[in-house]
Amino acid sequence: MPQNVNLNMTTVENRELRLGTIIGWDGSASELVSQSAYDERSLKKHGGCQKRGQGCKLCEIQSPLNQETMCSNAIVQCQIGNLTDCVLITHAPIGCSSEDAKFNLTMHMGLARRGKPQQNTLCMSTNLGEKDMVFGGSAKLRKAILLAKERHNPKAIFIAMACPTAITGEDIDSVAEEMEAEVGVPVVPLHCEGFRSKHWSTGFDVAFHGVLRQIVERHPTKKQKDLINIVALWGSDWFTDMLKPLGLRVNYLLDCASYEEIRQASEAVATTTFCETLGGYMGAALEQEFGVPQIDAPQPYGIRGTDAWLRAIAKVVGKEKEVEAYIQSEHERIAPKLAEYREYFKGKYGMVLTGSAYAHGLISVLAELGIKNEGALVFHHDPIYDGAGENQDTLKQLVETYGDIPHYTVSKTRAFQLPQLLRRIKADFLIIRHPGLASVAGHLGVPTLALGDEHIPVGYDGILRMGEILVGVLARTKFNKMLQRHVSLPYNDWWFSQNDPFVLSNNKDVFKDIEEKLGQ
Amino acid sequence: MAKILDKQRYKCALAAMQSVQAIERACPILHSGPGCAQKLSDSTGSSGYLSPQIFPCTSINEKDVVFGGVKKLETTIANALKVIDADLFVVMTGCIPEITGDDAMEVVSRFQDDGAPVVFSSMAGFKGNNYRGHEQLIDSIANQFMQSGNVEKGLVNIWADMPYQDLFWLGNIRELERLLREIGLRPNTIFGYQRGVENIKMVSRAEFNLLVSPWLGLQNMKTLEKRFGTPFLHYPILPVGATETSKFLRTVGEFAKISSEKVEAVIKEHEDYFYYLISRYADLFLENRVINKQFSVVADAHYALSFTKFLVNDLGLIPAKQFVTDDTPKHLQEAIRAEFQNLNYGIKADVDFQTDGFKIHEDIRQHDYHGYPLVLGGYYEKELTESLHGNYLNVSWPFLDKVVFDNFYVGYTGGIRLIEDIYTVAVRRFN
Repeated sequence: MPQNVNLNMTTVENRELRLGTIIGWDGSASELVSQSAYDERSLKKHGGCQKRGQGCKLCEIQSPLNQETMCSNAIVQCQIGNLTDCVLITHAPIGCSSEDAKFNLTMHMGLARRGKPQQNTLCMSTNLGEKDMVFGGSAKLRKAILLAKERHNPKAIFIAMACPTAITGEDIDSVAEEMEAEVGVPVVPLHCEGFRSKHWSTGFDVAFHGVLRQIVERHPTKKQKDLINIVALWGSDWFTDMLKPLGLRVNYLLDCASYEEIRQASEAVATTTFCETLGGYMGAALEQEFGVPQIDAPQPYGIRGTDAWLRAIAKVVGKEKEVEAYIQSEHERIAPKLAEYREYFKGKYGMVLTGSAYAHGLISVLAELGIKNEGALVFHHDPIYDGAGENQDTLKQLVETYGDIPHYTVSKTRAFQLPQLLRRIKADFLIIRHPGLASVAGHLGVPTLALGDEHIPVGYDGILRMGEILVGVLARTKFNKMLQRHVSLPYNDWWFSQNDPFVLSNNKDVFKDIEEKLGQ
Repeated sequence: MAKILDKQRYKCALAAMQSVQAIERACPILHSGPGCAQKLSDSTGSSGYLSPQIFPCTSINEKDVVFGGVKKLETTIANALKVIDADLFVVMTGCIPEITGDDAMEVVSRFQDDGAPVVFSSMAGFKGNNYRGHEQLIDSIANQFMQSGNVEKGLVNIWADMPYQDLFWLGNIRELERLLREIGLRPNTIFGYQRGVENIKMVSRAEFNLLVSPWLGLQNMKTLEKRFGTPFLHYPILPVGATETSKFLRTVGEFAKISSEKVEAVIKEHEDYFYYLISRYADLFLENRVINKQFSVVADAHYALSFTKFLVNDLGLIPAKQFVTDDTPKHLQEAIRAEFQNLNYGIKADVDFQTDGFKIHEDIRQHDYHGYPLVLGGYYEKELTESLHGNYLNVSWPFLDKVVFDNFYVGYTGGIRLIEDIYTVAVRRFN
């Protein structure tokens, strides 16, 4: 079996190279399934397909206009910066850690959701200036590591690379290695500079790579037979309720976790996640390098997904019999309420605008509620995940279980396309998961749900929770209509007259006038 | 500058994109890494016509770092002009192109030659914080976009605080406008509702520039003086409450050669009402047993100074140590320190120009406040003050504990608003 994960290197290969991630595509979901060639890629990942053919190439639309988005460094800030007893030092000018305060708030919310005591984040910046760009910032970094140790006495210290320090060639690996001996705790370099990958989700992999290399126990002396790793963000602790009947305790990674919780990941009985985009790398690495199996199942969304997910976990822990009774009782429990929601949402249309695999889960839940999806926008697409499990092709499962989505768009937070994206479909509401985008979309007159607690749609109860929330969202139509009436959108008439969201890419003639003016 | 930071109080120069956002129908175009705008935006009061999610960005990748991003910048500007409906575009370069050496000015100048309303401003994050970035932005607009014009009698440009970094920016600047209008001047400002490119064009026609700030904007006043010959009045204290606002109006009146009778009449009307309120609520001040004896402000020079003045001069509180967190340029610190020494009744306030939040917290923890401390500061002081059983009000960045639409702390009314906010926290204590 080929090695998908290489923990000998301090850097992790970008998603676009490892998985073939794209950030621009437009068509139907079923077309994307076939173009993604998951099975072929899976074979390759498992060492089966030796030929390097054209079969795995996925065409990508390049956009000549991009807008504010997100970077891998921000992801590291929100993952590693939200550990309870480790310090994150951002080795960069001051701007790169500007979200510290926001992530402090997310940490407070996460801790509350998990029933842990409140505390502030432990983040610092080397605050590099012009001289440091010229003469190097290593001395400052060493000093920051010593200060971190002295001030916070952490269990580990992480160093986040940023664009400017990556370009000037700061050697964070050497500094980390050298300082580790001095401070006596792991010092972990994270190569998460913003420009290196076209999609921010590489940042998740970088964060996991760092903890896998230096914190997760390499040689566990015991196994915790009742412990299961859930790769998560800050979501509420509903996994405990779901997995208790199987006799399992939950170990959430990484947000709000402590050093010890990360260390014991290799002692767990299995790893799973609420989102393959997020959890794929960690799951695959724990399986490959630490022998902790990754659950090869659909994500736990909708009835069918949750059934299959529970069965796969039960198989690993030898509770096949118990799980069937549990599944049946859950089906019966939610049935009456679900029938009510299905009646209520008859004829309603929704649209999901979120990260990739999570969107697949959310759309499944909407479909369970009887809500139709004519369009969806995901901010990137991974044609395969690191685990490449037979049952992890999330988009294919969505299409096969709940039907095709005619307008399935991959586009990385290009807000200017929203008018065109919404024009070609019916949508009574939007579900959005990306900071700031819900208010932009809200100006278009459609009620939006900025889904904060990402565990809301998970499991059987998740279907009912979403139903309840969406009843409220639909009631907010008036606020959005009011917004739409009283605000104007920042695009000119020409753009509004276009119907193709990718016209800037697809029609080269649209720039002739500007090119002529610029004398080209 | 450039100390290691714990609990940062500001962002990098590129965050001046928020100052662009505050100019109506002005749009930043970022030549930067993909995540900069996301990191530098705030999450409340930042949607609207042009929000950070709309800002075009070159999203520099590895290839651009190696081969240069000039072509991509040109494409991005062209596409932005094609799609986005704005009156002014400001191309801002972040760290990457400033290190790799993209000649962004050259690209922008070609659009300028073509008559497009595009300005270039160099905003490398390692060159300074957003206070410096804000100054750099105003200079760029002054040098590349403003045209000289004939001076109009009574027209005064007001420059005060920095949009978004100061939560009260909109309310404050409007209240300053109102005060100036009352003494017979015609104020011009470039930020906020219905202030845009037309106001920028008017700047050169002003009789004088009024800078209401301890240091931020001084560089711009000199630029405008040099470029258009406009004199400026530097009033180094944001006037909060009656004492300082009356002083402020007298100073401006004198500079603008307005008759003192007119100014005094305006002052009297305001003071009468201000002291009517104060006397009605003297019971609150004098009999409330839970208000704090000593206070600390943790804020930029702007607020640290003006709140200290107000709480001492108007409310009779005693200052503990005050913390200025904006990385004030060294050569400007002495003048500000002197103002902290210059309080009524011979009271002097100890001030620390300190950017390291950890040290600030140590100092506050160790000081004897003779009871509960009153801390006016950033969100980071919330937990600290709670642990000391003190009273806390979020008045400086980061703002996560306060929502402000157009409220303000400047002027007579602003002083009353600040008292309301402080005492609302204080009386809540045992409720």
